[in-house]
Amino acid sequence: MMRFGALPLLGVLTLVLSISTLATPAQSQTPKSGGTLNIMLREDLSQGFAIHESSTISTVFPAAPCFNNLVQFDPAKATESTDTIVGDLAEKWSWQDNYRNLVFFLRKNVKWHDGKPFSSKDVKFTFDMLREGPDVPAKLRINPRKDWYANVEAVEAPDANTVVFRLKRPQPSLLSMLASGYTPIYAAHIPPASYRTTCVGTGPFKVKEWRKGEYLDYVKNPDYFVKGRPYLDGLHYVVIVERGTRTAALQAGQLDVAFPGETTKAAAEQLKKAVPQLVVTPVGTAVTDNIIMNSKKPPFDNPKVRLAVSYAIDRKGLIQAVHQGAGVPGAAMAPRPYGVWGMPEKELLALPGYGKPADMKARARKLLAEAGVTPQRPLRVEMVTRAIAVYVDMASFVINELKQVGIDATLKQIETAQWHAMATRGDYQIGANLTGLGVDDPDANLYENFACGSPRNYSFYCDEHVTKMIDQQSQELDPKRRLGIVVTIQKKLEEDAARPVLDHRIDYFTFWPHVKGLVPHHNIYNFARMQDVWSDK
Amino acid sequence: MKTYIIQRLAIALLTLLGMSMVIFVLLRLAPGDIVDILFATAGYISPSEKQAIMKELGIDRPYVIQYLDWLHQIVTGDLGKSYRYDLPAWEVIRPLVPVTLELAALSMIFAVLLGVPAGVVSAVRQDTTLDYALRVFSLAGLAMPSFWLGMVIILGLVTWFAWIPPLTYVAPTKNLKLHAIQFLLPALAVGYRSSALIMRITRSSLLEVMREDYIRTAWAKGQTGRIVIWRHALKNALLPVVTVIGIEFAFLIGGLVVTETVFNLPGVARFLVQAILWRDYPVVQNLVMFTAIVVILSNLIVDTLYGVLDPRVRYGG
Repeated sequence: MMRFGALPLLGVLTLVLSISTLATPAQSQTPKSGGTLNIMLREDLSQGFAIHESSTISTVFPAAPCFNNLVQFDPAKATESTDTIVGDLAEKWSWQDNYRNLVFFLRKNVKWHDGKPFSSKDVKFTFDMLREGPDVPAKLRINPRKDWYANVEAVEAPDANTVVFRLKRPQPSLLSMLASGYTPIYAAHIPPASYRTTCVGTGPFKVKEWRKGEYLDYVKNPDYFVKGRPYLDGLHYVVIVERGTRTAALQAGQLDVAFPGETTKAAAEQLKKAVPQLVVTPVGTAVTDNIIMNSKKPPFDNPKVRLAVSYAIDRKGLIQAVHQGAGVPGAAMAPRPYGVWGMPEKELLALPGYGKPADMKARARKLLAEAGVTPQRPLRVEMVTRAIAVYVDMASFVINELKQVGIDATLKQIETAQWHAMATRGDYQIGANLTGLGVDDPDANLYENFACGSPRNYSFYCDEHVTKMIDQQSQELDPKRRLGIVVTIQKKLEEDAARPVLDHRIDYFTFWPHVKGLVPHHNIYNFARMQDVWSDK
Repeated sequence: MKTYIIQRLAIALLTLLGMSMVIFVLLRLAPGDIVDILFATAGYISPSEKQAIMKELGIDRPYVIQYLDWLHQIVTGDLGKSYRYDLPAWEVIRPLVPVTLELAALSMIFAVLLGVPAGVVSAVRQDTTLDYALRVFSLAGLAMPSFWLGMVIILGLVTWFAWIPPLTYVAPTKNLKLHAIQFLLPALAVGYRSSALIMRITRSSLLEVMREDYIRTAWAKGQTGRIVIWRHALKNALLPVVTVIGIEFAFLIGGLVVTETVFNLPGVARFLVQAILWRDYPVVQNLVMFTAIVVILSNLIVDTLYGVLDPRVRYGG
């Protein structure tokens, strides 16, 4: 049993450790001020700076330097948890009334980029807008994370420097969600729609120029509330659509920093060979490969058929064949060190699809036979996936795996424009899907992807007992007990083949050695502020 | 000639009107719209919110109304608003146009400077080693897609020199040398293919003309090879070459997509692909119309050049 997954994980850990060791002397250097970093973008900002209207790294990564959160994950620590949360616009915070109230004490003398003072009114404005409460001051065009704040009863601003989140029930996860890169504070005096074209934030960098489809330039915010920060004079994000050109630009030194989630293992090896001094850090991406099966339609309304699919897919084979080893096995939550809520390896290896491939496939065939699928009556299904290479590669592998157990799947590629509409409506049988998580937190993941009625629960999986357990873990204050419930939920989800997770993707985040103070996190969405980054050029 | 040009312009207007209908219909036939894309970046779909955004953008109106609205915008010089960027479409398109025109013009200049002399030499030295070498060279140009050649150039430069041309646009007023470097390499990649075509047409056309009686007469009169070939033969052989140049230029405007993408040049073609992916109708419609106008104008210029090259060609009675 131990043979599975242990070696790749060990390899990645060794790389992480060796790179951490190498990085130690650099971290002890005295930071220098000045310089501009050239940073890769693979596409233009998809919603401008309107992070609250978007769920893509293409928005969060380039827009983050403009903003601040109330709290953030410690930029210097790769693994994120509630223990690594540090203040941002909030100097300190306190849970009160048995985790029913979360009180933030804000920094004083913080200014927006247009010179206006920041206050608790801005915080109240932002979260009233996000939770779409009855006294909503402004409405977002699209509000993808409204559910994160479903438990917030009211947001109060008793004075200019204090904000109180009143909760319907205890929810320790709220703090993690507030620390996500997806939770910046908007200015109350600016219409939210204007963030699609320009940015008025409190962050370390101010927007200088955004040439559509070409580049985005920031300059240092001289009034930034953290003294001596940022170190850099500016940031220059360059949009390069062609992947080969992006890699060449990094190799040639025209770019200093790669785009998160962009560098495959093969590309990293090629870059390292060409430029040995490049710093390559394997990190989790918070993105999983998974299989969605429409549990409302035949044949996947039959739990045995769903489970057979999960048994049929060799996770290790997929990681090697599709990602050249750049992935780790895991259930709904990322395993350590990429996350803190993952299943222990021993329990993970006992789940469907994690054993010896031949045994797993035999089990799949047995389940299919029980569901009436025989060599004489093979199961013919249509597998959908997005018409993007990373999706198609994974889907092709899965189709081959399914064929070996008697499921004859044909691939149908769906354009991005139609993908989510199709999945939300349930116009499919089975699909190869990728899911990104803005924060390594059970509430953010489980409610969104597995709770009954959630628009992103594409499989329409609905189990009352699981829903109860999701609620239970959400209000559990003891971290150990909570982890136990979360592990049980993950086990149940995999055993029900609710949305079988195939692997957690690894990114080989790359930058030049003169870039200092940039610690890539095991979540691509949460380390883009660039406040503590400096250049030793 | 004047009447002819006026007639051609009138036909061009009708063509553009037809084009506008085709563009409009084809875009709407493509599955999904901007609202689906917006929701795709958010990761879910809400039918009620979708309806509200469609209303906000005006794409919930009947297609006929949307089409007439667009025509009205073109006539009044207002190109509408980019759905993606929430900015006037002209503001988004304006910086792209000179980049593509410059790249296309440079590519064409390179193609002509290489293609015509090579074609002449190949024809004059027919069936010699030089002719065979030039024909292989031109065949290679036709066989190699410009985007592939562009990628090979980029990879070659980075591998051997650890250098690639600038990847953000450098204005000529800012740094002429860098600007030239930035444009010359993609122009070479694109122009090579066109030069191959021009060379082959020049060669075959010149070989045909060289067999004409008046060329024999010129030789018999004792005129030098240079005069016979460049003044008498080439001038008459150029008509089909000019036609090809015109067609190639028009083709280049629409065909620079991949080259602009590989060299990261912020031109019309690269942007058009992104705009199509985003179903940004105002930007796509107007960019395609721009391409159509360039094609029509380049054809008109070619027709006009016929008269200059061959005085026997007269238009409009």
